[in-house]
Amino acid sequence: MNKKKILVIEDEATLHRALLEYLVSEGFDVLSALDGEIGVVMAKKEKPDLVLLDIILPKKDGYQVMMELKKNPATKSIPIILLTNLESPEDIQKAFDKGATTYLIKSDYKLEDVVKKIKETLGKKN
Amino acid sequence: MFHSGIWRVLCFVIMWYNQHSVKTKMKIVNDLNLKKQAEDLGVKVWLTPGFLFLVMGLVAAVIMTATYYISRNSDDPKILVIAESLVAIVILVIGSAIIRMVEQIAKVNKMKSEFISIASHQLRTPLSAIQWETELLITKYKKGLNEKQLEAVSTIGSSVFRMIKLVNDLLDVTRIEQKRLILRKIYLDIAKITEEVIGGVLPLARARNIELVMGTKKKMPQVMGDPEKIKMVIENLVNNAIKYTANKGKIDIKITTREKFLVFSVKDNGVGIPEEQHSRVFDKFFRSDNAVRYQTEGTGLGLYIAKNIIEQSGGRIWFNSVENLGSIFYFSLPIK
Repeated sequence: MNKKKILVIEDEATLHRALLEYLVSEGFDVLSALDGEIGVVMAKKEKPDLVLLDIILPKKDGYQVMMELKKNPATKSIPIILLTNLESPEDIQKAFDKGATTYLIKSDYKLEDVVKKIKETLGKKN
Repeated sequence: MFHSGIWRVLCFVIMWYNQHSVKTKMKIVNDLNLKKQAEDLGVKVWLTPGFLFLVMGLVAAVIMTATYYISRNSDDPKILVIAESLVAIVILVIGSAIIRMVEQIAKVNKMKSEFISIASHQLRTPLSAIQWETELLITKYKKGLNEKQLEAVSTIGSSVFRMIKLVNDLLDVTRIEQKRLILRKIYLDIAKITEEVIGGVLPLARARNIELVMGTKKKMPQVMGDPEKIKMVIENLVNNAIKYTANKGKIDIKITTREKFLVFSVKDNGVGIPEEQHSRVFDKFFRSDNAVRYQTEGTGLGLYIAKNIIEQSGGRIWFNSVENLGSIFYFSLPIK
């Protein structure tokens, strides 16, 4: 079975590393970007099965990344899970308006639960 | 002529007063309550817009009365012009003071809002890092750890979980106190949310040998609310039931309808709440005496937050409890 390709766009080094290690150990093919700009380039080039995206990012924030990916016919159907510590209803609403599939608050989710949500989203996509 | 004018104004005020509803009158009374206004806005009484408006009105009335009497005794139009200019200047000065005050209040409000947002984000990020790294150690790298090391790491994990819960609760309390708790309003599937909550607490219930039973009709009417916050309320009620129930206890979760409301209930056969403390159950930081004896962990914020979330969502939260026999906590949400 082909490994599912996940693109992680997260600038916080510790969180980035922990996510990467956990996802790899769970059998995913993981790509990573430390800022929004590289994230968009990688998504267009690699066409991952799912994007795990932070909101507060250098160069381009999560909303901009989402807008660009949703505008591009090649990337618009890629599900995007927002993984952030912003939790105001305005942020959550804005994220869904811009096309997020799921919105997760980092501190409320264990890595195990993040993986569950990824699998659930990939399951729905297929 | 002057007196008949005052009489006419008074008649108009009385007529207006009789025509308006109690709600409007209460609003006006509240607007005139300067102390409350100052407390709400976090400024001194003399800086509240209500006080400044009153001063502006009084000064304008005094100057206009003075102008009236001066103009009666003097035929010089210059005096009238000077008096009118004075009124205009006073209104302008007080008006600009009001604008500055409103701007200042808006700035303070924005700063408070930004502070909550920044504090919440900045506190959560390192806590998430500790949580995830600990999880990595326990789940993926535990091979190299001996029993004591693993126990220490698990303690870090559970402590950081409590810390995150506390940070979340304190931020919610701050939002409630500042009347900034904003809730989303979307259609909710309460049964699905409850199943998710049960999935999360099942290991804890099993560890304590507590039976969890959920009863619901197949098709429940839709309600509206903020899914994350309603989930938080359900989590709180179910966790409380587990925490305060002895081993081999039983917890019944039910979702039913009552008139135009969907009613959620959690029944346990736990320690219950002493009757004399019933009235304080939803108070901030309140924990009943027997709850503290039974379970030292807990902040007493969960039910206070739950009450605010449910009431702001248009519902009600209540309970029945008998000490040493158990409790039933309910909340209702309007059916849409």
